[in-house]
Amino acid sequence: MKTNTSGKKGISIGCFVVGALLLVVALWLDFLATNGQDFLLTANFNLSMHRGAMLIIGAILILVGLYIFPTETHHRNIINFIFLFPLLFTFFVTVIIPLILGIGYSFTDWDGLRINNVVGLDNYIRAFQSKEFLYSTLLTALFVIVNMVVVNVVAFLLALLCSTKLKAVGFFRASYFLPNLIGGIVLGYIWQFAFSKVLVNYTAALFDYPYSILSDTKMAFMAIIIVYVWQYAGYIMLIYTTGLNTVPREVIEAAAIDGANAIDTLFRIKLPMIASTTTICLFLTLTNAFKMFDVNLALTGGNGSVPDFLGSKLTNGTEMLALNIYSTAINRNDYSLGQAKAVIFFIILAAVSILQVKVTSRNEVEM
Amino acid sequence: MKKQLAMALAVAMAASVVLAGCGTTESTSSGGSDSSSSSSSSSSDGGSGGGASLQLLNGKPEIDAQMQDLATKYAEETGNTIEVMTIGGNETASSKLKELKQAGEMPDIFVAEANQFANWQGELADLSGEQWTEDTDVEYVDDEMGTIGFPYMVEAHGLAYNADLLEKAGVDPASLTSPAAYKAAFEKIDGMKDDLGITAVVGWCAEASNLGWSSGTHVFGHYLDAGLDPTDSTYIDMLNDGGTLDESRFTAFGEFIGLLNQYSDPQLLVDGTYDDQVLGFASGKYVFVTQGSWIGATLTGDDSDAYAAAGNFKCGFAPFAFEDGINTILDEPTSYWTVYKDGDVDAAKAFLQWCSEDTAQQIFVEDMGFVSPYNDCSYTATDPFAGAVTEWLGAGKHSSYHTFFKKDGLQDVTSVVFQEYAKGDIASAADFYTEMQKVTTDYYAQ
Repeated sequence: MKTNTSGKKGISIGCFVVGALLLVVALWLDFLATNGQDFLLTANFNLSMHRGAMLIIGAILILVGLYIFPTETHHRNIINFIFLFPLLFTFFVTVIIPLILGIGYSFTDWDGLRINNVVGLDNYIRAFQSKEFLYSTLLTALFVIVNMVVVNVVAFLLALLCSTKLKAVGFFRASYFLPNLIGGIVLGYIWQFAFSKVLVNYTAALFDYPYSILSDTKMAFMAIIIVYVWQYAGYIMLIYTTGLNTVPREVIEAAAIDGANAIDTLFRIKLPMIASTTTICLFLTLTNAFKMFDVNLALTGGNGSVPDFLGSKLTNGTEMLALNIYSTAINRNDYSLGQAKAVIFFIILAAVSILQVKVTSRNEVEM
Repeated sequence: MKKQLAMALAVAMAASVVLAGCGTTESTSSGGSDSSSSSSSSSSDGGSGGGASLQLLNGKPEIDAQMQDLATKYAEETGNTIEVMTIGGNETASSKLKELKQAGEMPDIFVAEANQFANWQGELADLSGEQWTEDTDVEYVDDEMGTIGFPYMVEAHGLAYNADLLEKAGVDPASLTSPAAYKAAFEKIDGMKDDLGITAVVGWCAEASNLGWSSGTHVFGHYLDAGLDPTDSTYIDMLNDGGTLDESRFTAFGEFIGLLNQYSDPQLLVDGTYDDQVLGFASGKYVFVTQGSWIGATLTGDDSDAYAAAGNFKCGFAPFAFEDGINTILDEPTSYWTVYKDGDVDAAKAFLQWCSEDTAQQIFVEDMGFVSPYNDCSYTATDPFAGAVTEWLGAGKHSSYHTFFKKDGLQDVTSVVFQEYAKGDIASAADFYTEMQKVTTDYYAQ
């Protein structure tokens, strides 16, 4: 029995060591040696081409080593860890590691290919000095505020409509929700056509304005809001509809017996009862409006003239933060500056989201 | 029992990790062939380091099908395979390349514009001494990196015109070498609109979001180069030194753009699309259009019905004569193929040499409609602009395309100013200069 245990222990430790080694080599190949040809061991076997397999096999060997390790006390913990591992591993690979790398890149002069120097806070200073970035930040804040109000109001009204006993209510619900199923890029181009080819005929006839509203900065901004509300209100409507359906019938009936009219019922019964739904909806619209990208890109590409902003002429009159980050990195080929802006974006978004959850959760009614 | 169950679950989980792992590795390695159209010559184990198959990243989606033919032909003639990946638009090709580089899956040959070479410092193979360099004058040579750009085509940009309509209107295109001549010609044609059956004299579109590359890169390029010797880099040097524009030259250029604004189709000018613009020209609705030789392929391709209905008219180029005596068009390769140093350099060199020779040149010229940069090329394209380009080149009346040396992304800001001017928010050529100078200085200061 004793030899069996020690044998198992040996195999376990062996697996663990080999696995860890494979993992380290694979990660090293991935981060430090992107040049494939350096690890051409034989004519047809290139070590770095197999780093993915090495990573996976290494991880499995470690898990096997852990599993067969003969222990009574830690057995349950080990099993728990093994079951959690796939999720944690994925989370680390797709979220945590890129986040850390991204923050790291923002302190260098990374150009998408290589790092020549560590430049400290230089990129952050450049980002804050950039009037375009400042403008995009303010514009995004304005967009978020307007959208939080408009999307929620429109969505709530649609939800009221869709929770009545109208005929064909299912059809309405489906058709309001439908725009949300179309991708933002496609939607942007469809609306661009509508604004530039169709609406322009009416503006020309009615206001003697022969150009598309997309060619005027302020009106293009309104156009983005219209498209965004059209796309997003249906989604938020569904959540409100669900919320409204959870309001207990007895409460409404009791209110009716007490003589409450429809308006009273709405403001004094329904709205307080669905406060938690409102929290969710406000939170969703806030973060999503902040991350506005695809409709912005397809509809105006961020263009628009601003004759005077802090003494400079700007040409990115409709460019939100996310698009500004994208165009900094991709169109202007300034990857490290884009990365620094992205980190600032992340901090703003995280702070605002935490704040809002704290504030609105106080108003929730315990059911 | 419980232990066996736990064991079974653990095995299942481990297996799922393995399978998931395989899934990702497979999909990354075939990612390249996903984005390219299926090619008969593509080998499935793309880039396994064996050097069995070359990879080429093409940045021109409009020639993807012909590139696949080229690959097939290459395999037939030499037995070597080449896999063509196509990425739309050069901006995305350059960011796609960065991804591929990070993943260690660089293609052996890839597309690059002149101002992108600097990104690849130390990563490109020097191609000097290759046979084909003897046969062309427009290969890209860098002071430090050597010969790094293989020219696969020459594209030209000027004020493209419909020769049949000009003849009908009695305007001699050879006379269009001064702003006054243009003004007179535009006035004359504008007065004959109904007789000629045209909508507007010029199809000029300054829409910034989708056509910014046209105004901000190509039309702007005439300010930098029109009328100058190909080696003259005065204005691009000025621009790259803090975004400075020459006041008198740019104001004259602005006057000329003002003339285009005045005589362009108002439906097209501020918010038209590329398709409208080219179709309008193909249907004979515009006498002039501000696009380059690449629209020839559209005229004989997508818009061939409209082009035939308009009588398959002859096409030519007139110079952007914003100052007296300007008499050149811009023609140079707008992008190059370059060879990755750590790829299969010898095979890549062999392929490029083959591309400069007879069989491949036939495909480049006759199927893709390119003007060949190679002196011994015996093919003439059926492309409506090919004759005109050859004529300008032959007469030595051509300038360089220094617009591709401006700072990355500058067209995004300049095109907005072009649009403002077109819309009338900027009233005069002098203001056009002032506003443009503001945005270029700011852009270079960043």
